[in-house]
Amino acid sequence: MPRSLLTDFELMILLATLRVGDDAYGVQIAREIERISGRKVLLGAAYAALDRLERNELVASTVGNPTAERGGRAKRFFRVTPRGLRAVKETRQALVALWQDLPQLKEKRT
Amino acid sequence: MTPRLRSGQASQPPRLAVALLNRVVPQEEPLTGDLVEEFAAGRSRAWFWRQAIAAVALTAFRRSDEVRPLRLVDGAPARVSSATMVRPRRSVNITGSPIAGVGGLTLAVLVVLMTVVVPQAWWVIAAAALAGVIFGVVLIAIRRTRA
Repeated sequence: MPRSLLTDFELMILLATLRVGDDAYGVQIAREIERISGRKVLLGAAYAALDRLERNELVASTVGNPTAERGGRAKRFFRVTPRGLRAVKETRQALVALWQDLPQLKEKRT
Repeated sequence: MTPRLRSGQASQPPRLAVALLNRVVPQEEPLTGDLVEEFAAGRSRAWFWRQAIAAVALTAFRRSDEVRPLRLVDGAPARVSSATMVRPRRSVNITGSPIAGVGGLTLAVLVVLMTVVVPQAWWVIAAAALAGVIFGVVLIAIRRTRA
């Protein structure tokens, strides 16, 4: 039974994959996370998370054609599955519910 | 990042790091391709090495997490008798490593990492080895006195 709630890094990976779109591959996903959040991303960690997400059927991947600029190596393109989209929504709902009614996090109005 | 010049040694990613990735994580060819692409786009050799070592270490930890069934019998119980008549070809571990999923090169990388990160751990390993030798000598001595 796959988990429905995601870790923070898995959530970032899924959101970055959605932001990049159809041609999302490792470098682009890592760059998007770095650009938006400022968090440095190890590509190995990104691939480990993507493998885990694919095992849980939250993302699906296809391998493209090898290119010369990558030393004859192919790209692996990722897309978020409907189940992955549902997991993102469920995680957001859980986080928002936890966020509410916390006096420590309420901003003071001037 | 500025694209790297295509000619000369500087345009090539660290060959040893690429060989390490090809050897330890051959299934992650797209990852190696991504690193090569980023290097060509202007990333440093230090960045490439950092990413490669992290990828190797993460793969080693991931393999240790995998569930491996014991497979004491190859096949269903009803086929045991026929399976014993035809001997399956035995695979030989040529890595010299007793740890499942960790090859010789990975073991060497782990030794280097341990030396760099926690060199104090070597004292624990040396003490454990010495304790093992002493324990063995004591057992032999007890056996001989009883015989």
